[in-house]
Amino acid sequence: MTVRERGRPEREGRPTKPSSAKRNAGFAFVLLLIAVSALSVNIKIERVVDLPSGIWLVVYKMYFERGPDWSYLGVSIEHMIQSIEIAWVGTIIGAVLSLPIGFVAAKNVSSGPVSNIFRQLLNGIRAFPELVLAVAIFIPIAGLGPVAGALAIGIHSIGTLGKLTAEVVEGIDPGPVEAARAVGGRWAQIQRWGVLPQVLPEIVAFWLYRFEINIRSAAVLGVVGAGGIGFIVQQTIVFGRFPLAGTALLVVILATILVDTVSGWVRRRIIEGVETRRIVDAEIEQPSLSSASAVRP
Amino acid sequence: MTAAAQADGRRPTKPRPSLAVPLGLAAFVAITWISVSREFGINLDLGELAENITRGARILWREDDNPADRGLLSPNWVFLSQTAAPMIETFAMAVLASVMGCGLALPISFLVSQVTTPNRAVFAIGRAVLSVIRAIPDILYALLFVAAVGVGPLPGILALLFFNIGVTVKLLSETVDGVDPGPIEAGRASGAKGIQSIRWAVLPQVLPNYVAYSLYVFELNIRASTVLGIVGAGGIGRMLYREYGFFHWSNVSVIIVELFVMVFFIELVSIWLRRRLV
Repeated sequence: MTVRERGRPEREGRPTKPSSAKRNAGFAFVLLLIAVSALSVNIKIERVVDLPSGIWLVVYKMYFERGPDWSYLGVSIEHMIQSIEIAWVGTIIGAVLSLPIGFVAAKNVSSGPVSNIFRQLLNGIRAFPELVLAVAIFIPIAGLGPVAGALAIGIHSIGTLGKLTAEVVEGIDPGPVEAARAVGGRWAQIQRWGVLPQVLPEIVAFWLYRFEINIRSAAVLGVVGAGGIGFIVQQTIVFGRFPLAGTALLVVILATILVDTVSGWVRRRIIEGVETRRIVDAEIEQPSLSSASAVRP
Repeated sequence: MTAAAQADGRRPTKPRPSLAVPLGLAAFVAITWISVSREFGINLDLGELAENITRGARILWREDDNPADRGLLSPNWVFLSQTAAPMIETFAMAVLASVMGCGLALPISFLVSQVTTPNRAVFAIGRAVLSVIRAIPDILYALLFVAAVGVGPLPGILALLFFNIGVTVKLLSETVDGVDPGPIEAGRASGAKGIQSIRWAVLPQVLPNYVAYSLYVFELNIRASTVLGIVGAGGIGRMLYREYGFFHWSNVSVIIVELFVMVFFIELVSIWLRRRLV
């Protein structure tokens, strides 16, 4: 542009190359960030060298020295079931509370300023990790145990679930809403008959998806005494009883994969219906994941 | 048949109700009942909870000579200076783990995507290993690595690294699955093989997504790194858990406010950047 204005001949009409100054500045900033971080973290280099042997030793003690201790299987499964129950109850709490908040946070349902306030509220809730919520609020209220864990997971889940609900509601077809209004529906009736049927399948899929994430959170809440298998994994590792820890870890891995598989199957059934369910997994997972923009809490 | 029925003025027959909905509801009610029950579940008693909610009041506010013990609603700002070093450590752990994790995730994603995988065996084994990696939560990684290499930021960074690889590879390999095959065919037609085709036909298509996922993973890391310290893996979590152990609620409050501010602002910046990229 500037070249032409000065009246100089353009080189065979080629467009000028877009400036890369912004991108270079971005790169420089990231590099600076990395350098500062590397310098500020206090890690001795000899510990990094010992790393592979240290990790191998733990894996060896857990699974190969005498094999995992199968007598611990019953206790581990019992605790893992409690973790799954914590995740289930937590997800229900999150789902029930996030549905109305998500509606109010959607711009097309409520007004601009109200929607903004609720959006920020949801962002704020998401900023507190489950463990912090459990330690600072719910263990003091409900005492040590799984109830505190379920409450912490429930409240934390409101953040993401509410945001996703709002996004789905904002993406609806306005036709049914107008139709409901045209036949004289009140606000609540419009939401119930014009909006909810359009968004419910996707929202229920999000709930299940959140349940999969919450399984992972519930598996660690025991570390602070909020119930579930995290407690026995921590105790066995801290006291060096690695064959027991190996069994418990195996139970966590298998149970998580099992729940993921079942829940993923149900989710696809809900979103795709029965007829199209044989489409390959990847094609279905992709859009729901990118719009969810959340794989983990 | 149907047209004839409608011509008669009769309504088309209602579709038979699916069995999936009542079955699903029954399963939902059963699982929920078991989960909240006293005998088999977590014993969630709403009445008891309502009574106990007042117990929370004493941690919110109370009179005490020690400014550290006054409750969550009166943060002890003097404590702020002590939290600076662990906060910086938390942030640095997240930065380093994100860079390493996303760097490693890029080649792994190409190995486990249907479009770019070198062969079926690598694809199948890679997917299986990744589902195991994803099934272990970050704190359990931290516990294992603390046992392996001792306390400090090193096991924390390692734990985040594994967690990052799980998340980024899942997102990115699915994006690679969905790329436009046109450029790959064009590359192949002009003689590109393996890595060349990935570099010039696939990578340019997924790069904006990759950068967006990296930013997203960085956000997740910031949140995760704040609690890793609870099991000894570096960062502010260690201090948070110690102050909690001493019932120094006013100090806990300072840390929570700091965490909130850090996470909130990093997320705002990250979401803004992601929106510009994709």
